Amino acid sequence: MKTKVDFPTINQKDPDGRRPDGSSYRVLVVDDSMFVTKQIGQILTSEGFEVVATAGDGEQGVEKYKELFPNVDLVTMDITMPKMDGVTALEKIMEFDKNAKVVMISALGKQDLVKQSLLLGAKNYIVKPLDRTKVLERVVSSLQ
Amino acid sequence: MRVEYINPFVEAAYNVLTEVLATEVKRGNLFLKSATKPVMGVAAIVGLAGEVEGRVLFDMSKQTAIKIASVMNMEELTEIDDLVKATISELANMITAQAVTKLHELGFKFDLTPPALITGDNMEISDQEVEALIVPMESPHGNIEINVAVRERS
Repeated sequence: MKTKVDFPTINQKDPDGRRPDGSSYRVLVVDDSMFVTKQIGQILTSEGFEVVATAGDGEQGVEKYKELFPNVDLVTMDITMPKMDGVTALEKIMEFDKNAKVVMISALGKQDLVKQSLLLGAKNYIVKPLDRTKVLERVVSSLQ
Repeated sequence: MRVEYINPFVEAAYNVLTEVLATEVKRGNLFLKSATKPVMGVAAIVGLAGEVEGRVLFDMSKQTAIKIASVMNMEELTEIDDLVKATISELANMITAQAVTKLHELGFKFDLTPPALITGDNMEISDQEVEALIVPMESPHGNIEINVAVRERS
């Protein structure tokens, strides 16, 4: 028997990166590794997020946040970076905007710094190696 | 050199490589090298300093580095460019971080340097006063040698 109708779409789901009105959540990616920046960018844009800017160190990250504000919804922040580390950058961003949503990106073994970041106001953290599910889950929950 | 220093690196390399390459990785036989050893073409080096000191080298051919970086970036890369270098450095970062977490749990206290990536032909590495333990890891994309030379600070 041949079916003439398409299978019904089940579990239809809107992309995680879009608001109910269809506009994209805007993300600033702060990381000194080109590889990680690209990886986060690919994961987020595939779900409809917009990466509005990237920064290669903490200092630049804080500057970019101030420049973009209020047109930025979320920051992903690497912990170990040259010039200014991610925890200091987080602190400076929180001083500037106490409602900032920052997700820390950490290598394993930085529990103390992750803890410190959460106390300083980071919404969540992701331990590398990054995978799609982990990144989306943490980012989405931070936006809610 | 005590073997317990190298096991966390081997375990971590196995875990991280299996995860990021999404493939079977096999551990080859451990061997010891006390003098000078050739480097295959792309080497990420991470320094350790503290109660234990020394360095860990992740060594592979250029071909392997390009293949591994291609898989990790989900795109075909063809030369050792900035993205390949950043990817291999990040790989070294992830493996070292996991190994060091384990070593810290075992009670060894030390700090790490950020990875430095060295590329070139006909290179050699010499370790004075400390022997290097080497564990080859075999993947379908090529072999990576994990070369650990550390000792307790006297």
